[in-house]
Amino acid sequence: MSSLVETASRAEQNWPGQVHGWVDRRKPVSELRCKGLAVLPSVAKWLVSELNYRLAGIIVEELAQEWEVRYLFYLEQQQGWTHIVVRPPLEVKTLPSITSEVHAADWHEREIEDLFGITFEGHPLLGDFILHNDRWQEAMAPMRRAFDPRAALAERKPDLDWRPRTIVEGPGAFAMPVGPIFSGATEAVHFLLETVGEDVIRAYPRLFFKFRGIEKLAEGKSIDSCLLLAERFSATTAFAHAFAFSQAVESICRTRVPSRAQAQRVFLAELERLRHHMGIIHEICESTALAVATSQAAILEEELLRISGTLTGHRYLFGLAIPGGLAKDLPDFACIQAVEGCQRIVDRLLELDQMLRYSSSFLDRIEDVGIISPEKAREFGLVGPIARASGFADDLRKAQPYSGYERISFDVPVEKEGDGFARLRILVAESVQAVRIMARVPAMLEPGKVRETISPQAGVALGWAEAPRGAVFHWLRLGPDGLVSRFRLITPSFVNWHGFHLAAEKFAFQDFPIILATFGLSVAENDR
Amino acid sequence: MLFLVSVFFVLGGLGVAASVLLPERIAPRIILSVGSIASLIVCVVGAKGLVTEASFVATLWTLPTIGTLTLTVDHLSSLFLVVCGIIYLATSVFSVRYLDRYSGRFSLRLFAVVYHLLWASVVVILLAGDAVLFLIGWEAMSILAYLLVNFQTVRDEDTTAGYLMLGMGEAGFLMVAVAFLLLGNHAGGLDFGSLRAAAPNAGMGLRWGVFLLSFFGFAVKAGLFPVNRWMRGVYAVAPASACALLSGVLLNLGIYGIVRVTGDIAPVPSLGPGLILLIVGTISALVGILYANRENDMKTMLAESSTENMGIVVAGFGAGLVFLAAQLPMLAGIALIASLYHMMNHAIYKSLLFYGAGAVDATTGTRDMDRLGGLIKSQPWIAGFFLVGILSISALPPFNGFVSEWLTLQTLLQSAALAPAGVKVVFAVCGAVLALTAALAVTCFVKAYAMSFLGVPRSNGTKQNGHVHRSMRAAMGFLAALCLISGVLPTYIIPVLNRPVSRLIQSNATPTLVPPFFAPNTGSQPLPPAFVAEFHDLGAQVGRSVLPGPGLVVLHRGGATNPVVFAMSTSYMAVVLALLLGVAALVIYGWVARRTKRVRKPVWAGGLRPLLPELTYTATGFSNPVRVTFNAIFHPTEVEDTSETVARHFRMAIRKSFEEVHVLDRLFYRPIETAAERVAGAFAKMHHGRLNAYVAYVLLSLLAVLLLGRYI
Amino acid sequence: MEIRQWVVKGLRAGIVTTPYPAAQETASGVSPGIPCAVSQMSESEGARLVEICPTGAIESENGEVHVDLRRCIHCFRCGWESEVHVGWEKTYEWAQFTPTGKSHAWPKGFSKSLHIRVVDAGDCGACLAEVKQLNNPYYNMHRLGFFLTPTPRNADILLVVGPVTDQMRRPLRETFEAMPTPKLVMAVGSCALTGGVFGPSIFSGSGVGNLLPVDVEVPGAPPPPLAILHGLLVAAGRKDPASGTAASLGCVENQAG
Repeated sequence: MSSLVETASRAEQNWPGQVHGWVDRRKPVSELRCKGLAVLPSVAKWLVSELNYRLAGIIVEELAQEWEVRYLFYLEQQQGWTHIVVRPPLEVKTLPSITSEVHAADWHEREIEDLFGITFEGHPLLGDFILHNDRWQEAMAPMRRAFDPRAALAERKPDLDWRPRTIVEGPGAFAMPVGPIFSGATEAVHFLLETVGEDVIRAYPRLFFKFRGIEKLAEGKSIDSCLLLAERFSATTAFAHAFAFSQAVESICRTRVPSRAQAQRVFLAELERLRHHMGIIHEICESTALAVATSQAAILEEELLRISGTLTGHRYLFGLAIPGGLAKDLPDFACIQAVEGCQRIVDRLLELDQMLRYSSSFLDRIEDVGIISPEKAREFGLVGPIARASGFADDLRKAQPYSGYERISFDVPVEKEGDGFARLRILVAESVQAVRIMARVPAMLEPGKVRETISPQAGVALGWAEAPRGAVFHWLRLGPDGLVSRFRLITPSFVNWHGFHLAAEKFAFQDFPIILATFGLSVAENDR
Repeated sequence: MLFLVSVFFVLGGLGVAASVLLPERIAPRIILSVGSIASLIVCVVGAKGLVTEASFVATLWTLPTIGTLTLTVDHLSSLFLVVCGIIYLATSVFSVRYLDRYSGRFSLRLFAVVYHLLWASVVVILLAGDAVLFLIGWEAMSILAYLLVNFQTVRDEDTTAGYLMLGMGEAGFLMVAVAFLLLGNHAGGLDFGSLRAAAPNAGMGLRWGVFLLSFFGFAVKAGLFPVNRWMRGVYAVAPASACALLSGVLLNLGIYGIVRVTGDIAPVPSLGPGLILLIVGTISALVGILYANRENDMKTMLAESSTENMGIVVAGFGAGLVFLAAQLPMLAGIALIASLYHMMNHAIYKSLLFYGAGAVDATTGTRDMDRLGGLIKSQPWIAGFFLVGILSISALPPFNGFVSEWLTLQTLLQSAALAPAGVKVVFAVCGAVLALTAALAVTCFVKAYAMSFLGVPRSNGTKQNGHVHRSMRAAMGFLAALCLISGVLPTYIIPVLNRPVSRLIQSNATPTLVPPFFAPNTGSQPLPPAFVAEFHDLGAQVGRSVLPGPGLVVLHRGGATNPVVFAMSTSYMAVVLALLLGVAALVIYGWVARRTKRVRKPVWAGGLRPLLPELTYTATGFSNPVRVTFNAIFHPTEVEDTSETVARHFRMAIRKSFEEVHVLDRLFYRPIETAAERVAGAFAKMHHGRLNAYVAYVLLSLLAVLLLGRYI
Repeated sequence: MEIRQWVVKGLRAGIVTTPYPAAQETASGVSPGIPCAVSQMSESEGARLVEICPTGAIESENGEVHVDLRRCIHCFRCGWESEVHVGWEKTYEWAQFTPTGKSHAWPKGFSKSLHIRVVDAGDCGACLAEVKQLNNPYYNMHRLGFFLTPTPRNADILLVVGPVTDQMRRPLRETFEAMPTPKLVMAVGSCALTGGVFGPSIFSGSGVGNLLPVDVEVPGAPPPPLAILHGLLVAAGRKDPASGTAASLGCVENQAG
């Protein structure tokens, strides 16, 4: 808390007259409001390089007379948020880019340019990001309030000469296209692998084939409809998203969630984490073509899905987390049974992990493959198990605790190598910790209700959660009528896909599917 | 026969005169008419010499203190006459239209003159009965080949390539001349007869000296490692018909020289020469095919592949010499037959491939495989004939490459019969390396075919609507048919090849390779009835009443415990293949196609349309795994590995390029160059310009000469 | 040593394959179930249910409550509404032919072994994950002759999940065109049938039916692997589709579970 105040005052000292610091002690948030645009990159650089903040994301809102552009920063080891806020008038269409100082802002700025039409000066690669140029014309800006879908459809002018941008020059260099439809049952994403024959020199993923415009759909909807959107857009981690959204609503409406609900939310979040990690381990074994390990991991994943289904009625935990608590109360004995089942599964997982560590053919394909160095992980602002495998000990449950996590003792495993084997070890270790947390919850369950009614009111808040893939942020602004006026989703897959190419380059073609599997990224979560 | 030979020479003279006197644009027609008739005559002469016992000896002029120049023909020269005649015939037909692209820019008259003279000199070499005429013909051939190849040089490095060929050829010529002179000095005469008679009485040192000098001298012409440095530059610049002549005729002359001197005139009764030939051949084969894999230019790729094939020929020949020295004439016969068979096959399919490369160059304007693609649609005939050449050179049955390469590898497997363990090890290792080269050859030619003819055109600039004249296709078709025939009927070619071989091994090798299944109980060596019955059950007597000859199965019999050492029959294979293909075609086109509807759809590219050419494999990419595996030989050094970055993080361009120095240069020529430069540099210190020192040099050298004269 | 340990592990794990389709699967947690209507419901209860359902899957006529499974997204709001008692049935055989699909002539002899090309047309991840579970030892669709294939040239069935986002329209169309006849299109999941909560909008469609001729529909969000398996068996002609019209599923009176 004191660091927030300190940050604000130091900022006012460094840029007198240009930056005004304002602290909200309740949240706690400190806002550095910049008067002019030119000072923006230096403030961002100061926060990241000198004070070791990390960028969570950028939020753009079109208010009545002006833009509000908010850069979210937080510290790994301390509670509280620091936002840099600029409010240029609506006629201003150009902002200075902070990408050369804070590279984690790269894709955020590209997204804003595609969806809002704001150019970022100094960013060399704007355009053809979310809205593919071979489908839509440039300068569509669908997130503007004045956007008319019918007019956009009528004026639709795809670029028929569109060609993928290749950057490798050399004798015999060519590019291998993979996707968007490839392999057996994979998500729709297109890779352009540039090579001179053996090694992948550059791997560029072309995403957003699955773009559904969630943020635009949410505008004007009720809280309940928006909850459905937030829960369903990436259903493999549906509970974590519903969890974060509910916390944002509760923060706006100043609702206090009953402690029984808080504990059960933690329980279900960890159950989802366990099931998600098991799925990734299953995919890693499948990518290395180790058939028996694949089957065994698949058995464990299916058992977790059945435990989830038996406990809550839905295998993917749909319809449980709602603003105000949980929609359904889980009986204590059911929770204990679920814990016992999960414990047995984790024991078998550890057995499987031990066998994998002794299979040299498996290790050969995973060890020292797809390496991301700690410096790169920090530079790109990676989150989740991937970042933790590269030495970046960042977990929102510890850094910005919520829903009672501060009362539960658990470890956050960290590895340094940053290769595929390190990521596998992290997944196994986190699964063990997840069951450990789940085991503590039944003792914390006090009798009582699990649902508090909410009274919608105007306001703005950030809700967050540590989803299985990493930090997830839901920024919500409700209007006076209680309807959603702005909903911003910052997902861990979006941040991590940005860094995927670091791992895939300089390795052979055959390693590519394995590297893809060890990342465990979701395209649906990225595309929104 | 002598009459025919004289007609040939007269024709050659007429051809030269016509080329000089008649207008330039008729020159290709002259090549076609005179050249093809001359080649036909040579083929007839060679055929007569091979099949019958006809021979002749014609003495030409007598030169004082040197000897009499004679022309003669025996089985060995007849074989080479036939092979060279076939290639020359096909090239004459091919060139008549192919040279159209050079008219106006370069002198076709010169080409025609050199063409006819070169053919005459080749025949002189093959018919020479004494060393002097041989050497005269050889020198003439070297110079004429240089002229032929330098026909269209524009750039400096092309002329240097020609000079290098000439220079290395001269070095080889000198070594061969010294060898002949050494032997002639011992024999007292320079005609082949006296040389042959005197060789057994010469000391081992002299025989070894003659062998080494002549082998390395002829190796320059035959294109063996490490003296094939001249091949790369020359093949790139010569027109396709000249390349075909280079590979199909001139490289064979090197082989002829090796076989003539080391096999016929002055064989060395020791295991050494054979082993040296085997090892040098194997290394040539491996290095040749590795570099062929790396080439993107079709012609240089085929040039490197010629090194590989010549290596196989020489390796087979070396194995034969080893068997001969170990008193195993039958196995030697098999090895020598395999080697000569491969020589013949290589001439045919390599010329075919060069014609294909020339046709591609003529129609699209480029030979760079990184930029070709999709030619099978615009040039189906060329694609088809080229495919026959590819299948032959990849040694796939039932084409001819399969037979000769299979026989070569089989003879190397017979090393069990040899006594010394070291020799067995060498045979085993060389056999393994030759098998490796066969696999690498398949890789190389799959890449060549796929990148040029299949897929999509990789560059928009190649115009693909050039017209390939009937004559060019006819020449390719003729050679493709020969590829098939000499592959499907090996049991008729082996007895023909046996004739020169039997002279070298002093016994008859045909029965060891082609047992008379059609007439098992007749002849000098009747087959045991149980053996015959077993093979007749397999169908070895099919065709007995229709075809003449001993049989259609190539088989080598062992003893009682191992009745069949190796056996195969491409004839029956071809029949079965044809039947299978025919039945399949009947079923598919006659029945299945009638009952289903066929629709044409664009190629599936993962839902990404269109599939752009830059998103398909390049030739470099295809062969990259070979380079990575054999990194120690290629030893690429990275010239550039930069990335252009903007705003500290965004890569705008990544540039990668490698430089590769050929292993020959790295191991031999660059060190020799640097050593020579250093020596020259040391001597250059003498040239400091001071007059007094120069006078002193003169005085010193005068003193030295006087002293020398005093004591010698 | 390494290979042996895997063999032993696999053998010790035993057989866990579901008895379906020979017998019904009785384990719990294999299906989210469907809401089934109690036959007599008051008008106000029916109206309340219609109001609660966010996708309009519940329709009420004279107290007879119909559930349009094609629209049901398994949000459970109707199940957890304390004022109205809705039945819940843990079934999973939900697949049906579309009207055009019913008349689809599937050649004889095609039903034993079918190759499936799965296309993700904007799905949230859950339907695709359930499709991937079909290969695990519990469901093991290989024993029934179903295989996933990476190329549409070998595919008999095109299995589409997702509402068909705008930028996946062309790749999906290309895949369909690249498949040789006879072919079948199977839409799996509520998004693929009706667009789910995302469509129709400028960026996301309202189901595969707007782009391709769909033959078999499997509702659910996500349909559990057994439902997809039932759909595949229906497509192959080896199992009957769910009885009744697409709009209503009468069911045995059952207490909410």
